[in-house]
Amino acid sequence: MTHIQTSPGTLTPAAERNGPAAEAPPGGRERTGGRENLAGYLFMSPWIAGFLFLIAGPMVFSLYLSFTEYNLFDAPRWIGLRNFTDMFADPRWRQSVKVTSWYVLIGTPVKLAAALAVAVLLARKRWGQAFYRAAFYAPSLIGASVSAAIVWRALFSDGALVDRTQKVFGVEVGGWIGDPQMIIYALAALTVWQFGAPMVIFLAGLKQVPRELYEAAEVDGAGPWRRFFHITLPMISPVLFFNVLLETIHSFQIFGSAYIVSNGTCGPADATLVYTCYLYEQGFVNSRMGFASAMGWLLLVTVGLVTAVLFRSQKRWVHYEEGGR
Amino acid sequence: MSRNNGMDRRQLLKLAGLSAAGLGLTAAGCGAGSGSGGTVTIRHSWWGADDRAKKVQQCVALFEKKHPKIKVKTDFQQYADFWKKFNTQAAGGNPPDVIQNAVTFLRKYEAKNVLLDLAPQAEKGNLGLDGFRAGLEKFAEIDGKLLGVPVGSNSMALVIDEDAFEKAGVTPKLGWTWDEWYAGLEKIRSTQKLAGDSGPHGVMYLYDMVLRQNGKAFFTEDGMGFSEAELLPYWTEALARVKDGVYADPKKIEQIKPALALAKGLSAGEFNWDNFSVRYGAEGKGRYGLAPVPSTDGKRTGQYLGSLMLSGTARTKHPAEVATFIGFMTHDPEVARIMGYDRGVPATTAQFEAYQPADAPNKAVAAYETEIADAGVLEPITPHPAGADVIEAAFLRIGTDLSLGKASPQDSVKQFFTEAETALASN
Repeated sequence: MTHIQTSPGTLTPAAERNGPAAEAPPGGRERTGGRENLAGYLFMSPWIAGFLFLIAGPMVFSLYLSFTEYNLFDAPRWIGLRNFTDMFADPRWRQSVKVTSWYVLIGTPVKLAAALAVAVLLARKRWGQAFYRAAFYAPSLIGASVSAAIVWRALFSDGALVDRTQKVFGVEVGGWIGDPQMIIYALAALTVWQFGAPMVIFLAGLKQVPRELYEAAEVDGAGPWRRFFHITLPMISPVLFFNVLLETIHSFQIFGSAYIVSNGTCGPADATLVYTCYLYEQGFVNSRMGFASAMGWLLLVTVGLVTAVLFRSQKRWVHYEEGGR
Repeated sequence: MSRNNGMDRRQLLKLAGLSAAGLGLTAAGCGAGSGSGGTVTIRHSWWGADDRAKKVQQCVALFEKKHPKIKVKTDFQQYADFWKKFNTQAAGGNPPDVIQNAVTFLRKYEAKNVLLDLAPQAEKGNLGLDGFRAGLEKFAEIDGKLLGVPVGSNSMALVIDEDAFEKAGVTPKLGWTWDEWYAGLEKIRSTQKLAGDSGPHGVMYLYDMVLRQNGKAFFTEDGMGFSEAELLPYWTEALARVKDGVYADPKKIEQIKPALALAKGLSAGEFNWDNFSVRYGAEGKGRYGLAPVPSTDGKRTGQYLGSLMLSGTARTKHPAEVATFIGFMTHDPEVARIMGYDRGVPATTAQFEAYQPADAPNKAVAAYETEIADAGVLEPITPHPAGADVIEAAFLRIGTDLSLGKASPQDSVKQFFTEAETALASN
């Protein structure tokens, strides 16, 4: 949330202390009049205009479109809820929901587990640690890019590196890219490999855990696993929550890597037909913009619901220090 | 925005400062086609691979030299991406002035008033319609409107790995039947340990010919030309052939896309447009040739001359220049020498005679086209209904899913017809 600073004196470092639980202090005490407000809005006007014309406007329009049949050329034709009933009856739509759910439910936890494991290893003081941190973060810088997905496609094809390595161990699966059963794992591996961003956040969280807690636990005879589950995890749970939230939302929106790894087909046999891929195909290939808009809105509502559930679940497992909220 | 050459740095800074309003202005700036000093700029885009792009750009450079008052901006993508982009541009009212086009898209975009009627331009003398081979100038005429001018003609052929066919002792010949063809594939499979064909079950244009051999067609003017009952045995048979290894392993084909399966050595043959044979030579290591298409009764192959064409778009501000450019691309002998048979055998006699192929693949294309023309097997083609492009893609995808074992032939056929109906209704 952006907060406009009306009087410079009220800036406090509170935000740095409490992390995600922090709240911005209330604005200026004395009224400085509408002139400054006006100036503030004027400075914001590029953003406000952009928001209204490029985000809010198109969103409202797409909500309308989701109840119409619209091929981009002819005027939208109102068809009520038919896009939604068509969707539920469409086996390819169900397939896209299946693939995306799998990706969210399996890919996200594995990615976060990898990020946390590496963060724990990198949190200790050790010679050359800065180098390792940079090295493990590097894939995330290029991971989301087109080039990484293209490399992935090359890695997992017939006779490529992964295929040959498998053969050394006597596994005869062949390339993963052409196999409807295997390609989703190649895609998941690409996601997991880009664990750098949540890892850095975990790392910051780990550094906040007071050393005394570990020392006390050690004195009481707690082993490394116990210390991890009873001190580390609860202490970094706000950070964990933040990462779970962000990565879950990201996973719902996966498009680029699926599209490129499958060479633009989201196949083979619809094996990588993630939700946004099908939305794109219906909208831009089949010219069914109404159907695509309906899909988009359903995705938005779903992500909203999942986010709400995650926020509600906070009370059960997220511990904030200093009494929390 | 960076392509707009009519804007200097100071203007650009001003625009940046204007933010939201500036966005509108730059967008408008991109849309305007004309530059300064009386020169006119038109935009031309097409689909194809890099080699075609190089050739077209050479032609454009030549055109700009001969017509110094007309500038041509170029843009190209792969087939599927091209149409996604064009569809969006056309819907936004900002399509390129001249596009490469095909028969599948004529009705679709005619119904949406996207294409320019070139007939008035021909009457004004901006575009010559004389000297086309075999009546090709009428190819894109719908309801009295001239929606495109062919640049070349092509037809479906069986592209084969000649060594594999020779070693297996299989000789394709004009008038052979599907049974003879299939016996040949089995022979290749058993003697050469190679799939006889890449698998034709997803190729819409081939199934169209199979249907034509039986007096039908894939499309009627406004719908589907065949029923579920006809497709089911065709796909059931294809699935069995994939399992027997006579058709190539679809998993392997998936991985080498967008390369050609035959060129990558996954099979001994596949059905494709004859002008593609040049690409096989460039992509693969084998010796590739063109073989006649098999038929049901040993006579009727159902083949027709297909054609790539150039079309103008209706919103262009420079129809005369568009017509001049299309005329140049179809008639100029230099263009023929640059393009070769890249988009098929040139459509006009002048261009046909200007280019004498010296290399084996192009010679084979010329010989093949002459052979089927002399054999008198060519039939007329009706422009496909709107939505045909979506149906073509669905046929390929569902045919591939079927061969990957994802769905039974029954379910695949049902799914295809459901999607086809949706495509016909929503386009």
